[in-house]
Amino acid sequence: MIQPEQLVEAEWAEWYRLTPVQRWLESEKLWQTYLGFGGLLEPEPDTQSPFFDARASRPRAAYGRTGVRILRRGRV
Amino acid sequence: MGGQACVFYGAAEFSRDTDFAILADAANLARLGKALAELQGRVIAVPPFELKYLKRGHAIHFRCQHPETFGMRVDIMAKMRGVEPFPKLWRRRTTIELPDGLKCDLLGLTDLVLAKKTQRDKDWPMIRRLVEAHYFQNRDKPNPQQIRFWLGELRTPALLIEVARSNAGLARRVVLKRPLLAEAISADAAQLERALREEESAERERDKLYWLPLRNELERLRHSREA
Repeated sequence: MIQPEQLVEAEWAEWYRLTPVQRWLESEKLWQTYLGFGGLLEPEPDTQSPFFDARASRPRAAYGRTGVRILRRGRV
Repeated sequence: MGGQACVFYGAAEFSRDTDFAILADAANLARLGKALAELQGRVIAVPPFELKYLKRGHAIHFRCQHPETFGMRVDIMAKMRGVEPFPKLWRRRTTIELPDGLKCDLLGLTDLVLAKKTQRDKDWPMIRRLVEAHYFQNRDKPNPQQIRFWLGELRTPALLIEVARSNAGLARRVVLKRPLLAEAISADAAQLERALREEESAERERDKLYWLPLRNELERLRHSREA
């Protein structure tokens, strides 16, 4: 029988082995981290979606709060 | 029905919008309108929040202004290509209870997979993950319905070959509905991979064709709004 590790990376295999409810709870932790870093709820534009409208307005950050910013990066 | 449902069933999507499939009738729309008003949800772009657009298959997009949900996008749909009408989706839903007692109704897995068969690149690896996760979770004691689901929806050549090998009789029957199973039955991984790509490509083309008149209608609505 094929094992998940033969098809996907170890992290994915571990994810598959969680129960659905465990996955839900893990994703909640990710959400808390994301929001803790100041991540915004506004999704990235999805240019492949049939609903995509390049002219649609996008909101400013809430109450002057910024989202995640890059403070330092390499040259590439 | 979108990102969090994918997380629950085994794929992973960090989706920041919240998608709802709803029953499109006037009373339900009024209830939804009240709930969105609490979130200070405002319609963005087109179409407007009207029953006729939902019934035609459009999605209505809201952006919440309430401080606790500021910027959160809520997308509402009542009809999706290739997916059963709402009453059937409702009967097949999955209901979960969160630790705080809150109950959530999620699109059933088989319907979620069908809803993900779109023209977008990102949906196809998602389908693959969803069905793989379901297979690994249930393969030790599967029921015939689950085996049919795998034969019909798996997108991983090695797993399709494994399922076809251990369920040869059923695979031969399902091949009429999904011709690429012939490659799985003969365990030809290279041909099967090619056939899966072709199957995806054909489905994406069907989705584009389905959306063509709806996109044209959206464009007309945008123009009339700007005029």
